[in-house]
Amino acid sequence: MALLLRTVARQGLCSSRLQLAVLYRHAVPMGTTAKEEMDKFWNKNTRLNRPVSPHISIYQWSVPMMLSISHRGTGVALSSGISAFALAALVLPESYPHYLDLIHSMSFGPQFLAFSKFALAFPVAFHTFNGIRHLLWDLGKGFKIPEVYRSGYIVIALTVLTSIGLAAM
Amino acid sequence: MAALVRISYVCHRGVSPLLFRSSSLIRPLAVQKDRDCPYHLISAKIHATPSNYGSGSKAASLHWTGERILSIALLGLAPMAYFYPVPAVDYTLAAALTLHGHWGLGQVLTDYVHGDSKIKMANAGLFLLSSVTFAGLCYFNYHDVGICKAVALLWSK
Repeated sequence: MALLLRTVARQGLCSSRLQLAVLYRHAVPMGTTAKEEMDKFWNKNTRLNRPVSPHISIYQWSVPMMLSISHRGTGVALSSGISAFALAALVLPESYPHYLDLIHSMSFGPQFLAFSKFALAFPVAFHTFNGIRHLLWDLGKGFKIPEVYRSGYIVIALTVLTSIGLAAM
Repeated sequence: MAALVRISYVCHRGVSPLLFRSSSLIRPLAVQKDRDCPYHLISAKIHATPSNYGSGSKAASLHWTGERILSIALLGLAPMAYFYPVPAVDYTLAAALTLHGHWGLGQVLTDYVHGDSKIKMANAGLFLLSSVTFAGLCYFNYHDVGICKAVALLWSK
């Protein structure tokens, strides 16, 4: 009933110029799934060897875009690092402390060591903080554009501070 | 006019059947309306949730939820690893990190790999990688110092 009244009231505000009105469609479910539709698209277009329209090469980059791809990039990098470590553990003959002593004996400068710690901590910190940002989105919070930018800047700030803090430990 | 009739039809039946029917992805549509032009009843094709078909699977939805729960668990493991570097945490970390990475890389593959056989091969390769990763981490936990201690030692210099 309230719906009816609201719509009628909206009609009442109509002026002589073109107006936007809200209608409710009669919805009909499709026979195919979204996945099937997507597969059909890719199959047809790759078969016809069609070029892909420029997208990332022409679209203006924004901070949220960069944070998003960085989240993926750091995720892939960290995962690869863990896999490489695990593989090394299986393959290399000596134990971990042995290889650590090897690095110790190379007497790198303290700045280099601090920078290395920063370089290791940075992707972990970024992926963690941006991950929390993602989880908040999953709860439905913070989707307004100013909020997206604000949370993004907070993630960057926290990442830098945390990485510096961890590198100093 | 017709839209008003439809809306009054909805109101008669009550809004609840509309809200709880999983098939109704009925969304408001903004259309250009000329004052003189009558309302049109438009039929829109939509992708209804498979569960509406009766025999659909909730696998994708459960997978999504599982991913989020694992992420939260991993967040909790980090301070645990720092304050309680015990074998239980080592092995839990090995499992959680591997699975989180496996699912994450799975999403990357889903986004960029197309074509049935390519998808199958990529996922098989990923499964192999994740298995080796988990094996390696468990081996490290058992025969070597363990993940928590390893990080602590690395940072001690």
